[in-house]
Amino acid sequence: MRHPYLVYAGRRLAQAVVVILLTYVFTFVVVSILPGDPVTNVLRDPQNGFSEEQIQAIVAAQGLDQPLLVQLWTALTHFLSGDFGLSMRSSRPVATLIAEVLPSTLALASAGLAVALGLAFAIAYGTQFLPGRLGSGLRALPSLFLSVPNFVIGLVLIHAFGFQLGLFRVIEPESAWATAFAAIALGIPISAQIAEVLIANLDHEARQDYAAVARSRGLSPARLFARHLLKPSSLPVVTVIALTVGELLGGSLVTEAVFGRNGVGSLVQRSAAAQDLPVLQAVVALAALIFVLVNLAADLVYPLLDPRITLAGPAARRPGKADEAPHDAPLRTVTG
Amino acid sequence: MIEPLVPSRRRLLAAATALALAGAAPALAAGEPRPGGDVVFLIDSLGPTWIPNNSAISSFQGHIWGHVTDKLVYVDADGKVSPWLAKGWEQNADATEFTLHLRDGVTFSDGTPLDASAVVANLDIWHAGRIKEGINPIGLFPKTYERAEAIDARTVKVVFRAPTLGFIPTLGYHGSILISPKTLARPASEQADLARTAGSGPFLVAAWKEGDFVRLVRRKDYAWGPQAVGRTGPAAIESITYKVVGEPSLRVAAVQSGQADVAYNASPQELKSLKEAGFTVATPRYLGFVNGWAINTKLAPYDDVRVRRALQAAIDRQEILDTVYTPDWKAATSFIQSNVPGATDQSARLAYDPGKAERLLDEAGWVKGRGGIRAKGGKPLVLTLYANPYLATAKAVDELIAQQLGRLGWKVEIRAYDVVTFGQKVQFGGPAVPAYEVTRSFIDAGTVASILTSANNGENWFALGEGDPTINDLRDRIAGAKTIAARDPLLDELQRYVLDQGYFIPRTQIVQRIYVQSPKLKGETYNGIAYASYYTATKGE
Repeated sequence: MRHPYLVYAGRRLAQAVVVILLTYVFTFVVVSILPGDPVTNVLRDPQNGFSEEQIQAIVAAQGLDQPLLVQLWTALTHFLSGDFGLSMRSSRPVATLIAEVLPSTLALASAGLAVALGLAFAIAYGTQFLPGRLGSGLRALPSLFLSVPNFVIGLVLIHAFGFQLGLFRVIEPESAWATAFAAIALGIPISAQIAEVLIANLDHEARQDYAAVARSRGLSPARLFARHLLKPSSLPVVTVIALTVGELLGGSLVTEAVFGRNGVGSLVQRSAAAQDLPVLQAVVALAALIFVLVNLAADLVYPLLDPRITLAGPAARRPGKADEAPHDAPLRTVTG
Repeated sequence: MIEPLVPSRRRLLAAATALALAGAAPALAAGEPRPGGDVVFLIDSLGPTWIPNNSAISSFQGHIWGHVTDKLVYVDADGKVSPWLAKGWEQNADATEFTLHLRDGVTFSDGTPLDASAVVANLDIWHAGRIKEGINPIGLFPKTYERAEAIDARTVKVVFRAPTLGFIPTLGYHGSILISPKTLARPASEQADLARTAGSGPFLVAAWKEGDFVRLVRRKDYAWGPQAVGRTGPAAIESITYKVVGEPSLRVAAVQSGQADVAYNASPQELKSLKEAGFTVATPRYLGFVNGWAINTKLAPYDDVRVRRALQAAIDRQEILDTVYTPDWKAATSFIQSNVPGATDQSARLAYDPGKAERLLDEAGWVKGRGGIRAKGGKPLVLTLYANPYLATAKAVDELIAQQLGRLGWKVEIRAYDVVTFGQKVQFGGPAVPAYEVTRSFIDAGTVASILTSANNGENWFALGEGDPTINDLRDRIAGAKTIAARDPLLDELQRYVLDQGYFIPRTQIVQRIYVQSPKLKGETYNGIAYASYYTATKGE
């Protein structure tokens, strides 16, 4: 088991490195084809009163008159040696800038994921075991959650709980209460995707013979859910969580802007507006790294969760939503 | 580098609790002011970098620099120059040599004395920067600067290559902030850390986080405030927190709900109701050009003085004030703001006279055709406007003017670009730019003439190059003027000439900084660049 595991992990890691380098170069190309650069954009503002000679001297001193390929090569060699360089906008080290804002985004993203998981499991449980209309009403919730953008949810929460009820101060967006509401705004749309997959899989599992056997033996709904249905139904959830990491990061950027949090999102926004290439490249590479690592982790977790998944050949494909799930899976016997 | 936020949080929480106790609606009645208090100032942005030279003239960072640093002279809202850290000065007859006499006992917050050598270090870096290291010069510092030397510990001699009457007022400009020589000696990446920068101002940087906040605390041994503001000792306010809130309506709502004291850059349309609700609204004017167009005289049909004069008469400036702005905005009386020393009242030249405009256009051969659009030789009379992205109301004014001109037969096209694209595509005298919308401050009217033509790296605002002998002559005589008394009549002549020729089409006087303030906060002062200083302020309960 260990040997194929290491080969598999090594191959995935090598892929990750290539992906990160490609995103780095891609970011450089995209930002470079935009007109202007952060230094001349500032210098050309007539308010600042620079003469043409002064502008030329400054541009040359910053190496901005070099050919693009030379600039890319310089940036890439520094990046590979672990030097992210200085921000063109603020002249401060890029690593410092990211270290300043990362904790805020990680706090929001993890709280948002917790909210999403809590909501998704609560909704999924309700759809199976709440009686009549209530249960079927819950099935409509994920579609509703998906169709309301999280910035709208955020604005409503700010207005209701920040201004009306005064639970948090709008100018202190990193406080515990403000973080909690930001996490709710972020978590709601993501909970919908998890809930949909979970509901579909629960429906599938609940129709299986072993579930009928368990019910006939008089198991309470809560016990049936927790002991028997949850584990086989939540395997695809791991896939969805890995895929929502991108959404979690992207959504947290929007949520940050709405709540005024100073996280990675606001750094990206400031840097993009100023075409601050070193910061943008580092952030994009970091995002790629997180995305790749989370998906790698998910791939490595499946074989441990489900013995039917082996690392050889096409069978290594991850389980997807219920309709992609292997319907010819062997019947389980219930021993409980 | 960045200190923990705990003390400020505690203070803010205490303030929040106090407000909660005061009831759902925060009490608007101002109580007795007492020393202490934290001012929370909500701002759109905190600018790009904190390297003093590169950031001092940023519209946002100027607020912080104004509290953390001092200047050699003070320039008030009327452009009056008075002593500050320079307690006096003399100049030679040619206005090429200035001697500054410094005040005693002034220190930077790192303990370095603010003496003649410190002033020389500042003048040198304003002039030249350290370009290779990424420290820019101050663009607006007189380019005629030659050198400065410390005569003794309290006396500085400054020498220019040509008469530079604007030197003393420039020392009060927001770029001319005095920084400790120890800070200036550091490399750019260290100067970019605001917490390590030492000024001599009434406040110190206690904590900051990029793009988020800057928290200032009072300097207790401060004793050298400008006489002109009526206070010289330490500030009464204990601390000021500048906090970034990007959304304008959120900034105003936070002040309304008592969560902050000042909201910067509210939209003009909100001001009336805020005033009625008891909030203080301040719209100080900076010293500079009015908001208006520099006309490209190389581009047809604006190469015809009759068309330019028609344009001058075709704009109903009062309607702009009534429709887009509030009574806090003032009508343009020249192409420079009326509070600038040397500005003269040219209102008669800016009167709305649609009849005159139509007559001039008829004379120039632009006749009304189908749809009311004027044309000449098959070409319609077009004016393309590029809304200035630095002024939030620019597009609204453009749209109103488009209606006014449309009635007289103009076809007006409006383009709105973001700051970057605007900087790239829209330039004075650009091939597709008939009218460049100006928003620009300056501290001394003497600099005005020198940027209008192309001589000496001038900006050639009207694309005249060296082609108009009248304006060239006025430019040279203004630049060479050795006293204000000799210069003022020349400035008056320049204003009359530029408006008569339709080179510059004023719209309104400009207010670029709008403050909405809690009534509990009182006694702030506004300087010549319209920055609010809370050094003189007090906050009631």
